[in-house]
Amino acid sequence: MKTTDADSLNTDNNLAGQYVLGTLDKTERVVFEARLADNPQLQKMVNQWQDHFVSITDQLPPVSAPQPLSARIERSLDTLETSRPITQKPTTNFWQSLPIWRGLAGVGMALTVFFAVQLSTMQPELSEPTYIAVLVAPQDKTPSWVIQTGQSNQMQLVPLAAVEIPKGKALQFWTKAEGWEKPVSLGLVKKGETLKVNLDSLPPLTENQLFELTLEQASGSPTGLPTGPIASIGRGVIML
Amino acid sequence: MDAAKIKKILNFFKRYSCTDFNDLEEPVLYTVFFSLDRISVSPSIFNYETSLKKCAQGDRRALMQLYEQEAPRLLAVVLRILQNRPLAEDVVHDAFIKIWQNAQQYHSELGSARGWIYTLTRNLALNALKYSHRQVLFEPEFLLDLCDHHAIENEHQKDNVETLVNDPLAQASLNRCLDHLEPQRKLCVLHAYVDGYTQDEIATLLDKPLGTVKSWIKRSLNALKECLQ
Repeated sequence: MKTTDADSLNTDNNLAGQYVLGTLDKTERVVFEARLADNPQLQKMVNQWQDHFVSITDQLPPVSAPQPLSARIERSLDTLETSRPITQKPTTNFWQSLPIWRGLAGVGMALTVFFAVQLSTMQPELSEPTYIAVLVAPQDKTPSWVIQTGQSNQMQLVPLAAVEIPKGKALQFWTKAEGWEKPVSLGLVKKGETLKVNLDSLPPLTENQLFELTLEQASGSPTGLPTGPIASIGRGVIML
Repeated sequence: MDAAKIKKILNFFKRYSCTDFNDLEEPVLYTVFFSLDRISVSPSIFNYETSLKKCAQGDRRALMQLYEQEAPRLLAVVLRILQNRPLAEDVVHDAFIKIWQNAQQYHSELGSARGWIYTLTRNLALNALKYSHRQVLFEPEFLLDLCDHHAIENEHQKDNVETLVNDPLAQASLNRCLDHLEPQRKLCVLHAYVDGYTQDEIATLLDKPLGTVKSWIKRSLNALKECLQ
């Protein structure tokens, strides 16, 4: 199937419209938002649709906001202002490296295509994921893995493209939630296989929890901590 | 207040006012205009883009002006979705804080600043739905009345400010385009946008298969897109 630029523009425009209407399902929405963050053209489509549709709700009778609400907003702004210098302390810590997280936002067309294919070929739909993360390559931000958990207490690591692992090496899967001192290994990835991780031994997954794959020796990292280069990295989103 | 806005309001008063503003001294005029700044004006006069830019520069007064201007409408939108007054007020509070924090991310290439504000606010409202046990109501007449463009245009003629500063053709264009949709498809779009219902809820409400509702919405958007161009 050939996709021309015009086609993908139309698809994007339709997705933007569905996003504004709020009718994308949870997975579609997360994927769309990931692309949106880094794509001004897509944001423009969204704002344009919103501007059109808002003419409908402009006909709703306005609801006057109570006086305390504006005072509450002012108070919150005061609090923000006093706490800002502390929270915005610059840091070069790897886990907070901006380019990497900025890159994560740039989840590209490949993922859309993947989900389009998945959504159209997997009817009836699988049970809805309750937690999802998209892992991308740190250099070119290509989406390469998706993590999903459903109702069962198992997490799946699904490759989005062919995986190449150099001879004598292995990909090791790690996670680290906020407040953890160090990452925890979730196992080694074998070629062409979906890695399944039992979640019973882990604390509950949290919003923004970090996941990454590093290239280690075939038996896994000798130190129990990531030592090799990062092959893929991303953060999780809870889907309620 | 910018010059263009003063000019628009001035023209309005010249044409329709009960007082003859031509007789007033300039300082008095400015006092009148600055007090007008505190009240909500038609969205087509208010400069949302400038407002966001000022917020990005840390101008708090700009945020509070935006609040005066838009809070009643935002609250109406959020309340319609959540059907819970305290929760809706929380969401509007959070929206203004987020507008303040994110205003720097907005720039003119992103298109409509008002659209940007509503996207941000509606997303917060849709996320807050998980805390609201709202009822799914079937009110087709209410929704259809809301976008009855004949009624809207009549209203515009009654309202001098609106006819003066709005281009009624442009305003009503989405409504016109919605009219080209079959009634049931139009309802799908309205239930989704105005009520914030999910596709599942709409399917149940209209007693149609989910797949049908999905494809109606997709096709309706394509038709609207074509009509709006």
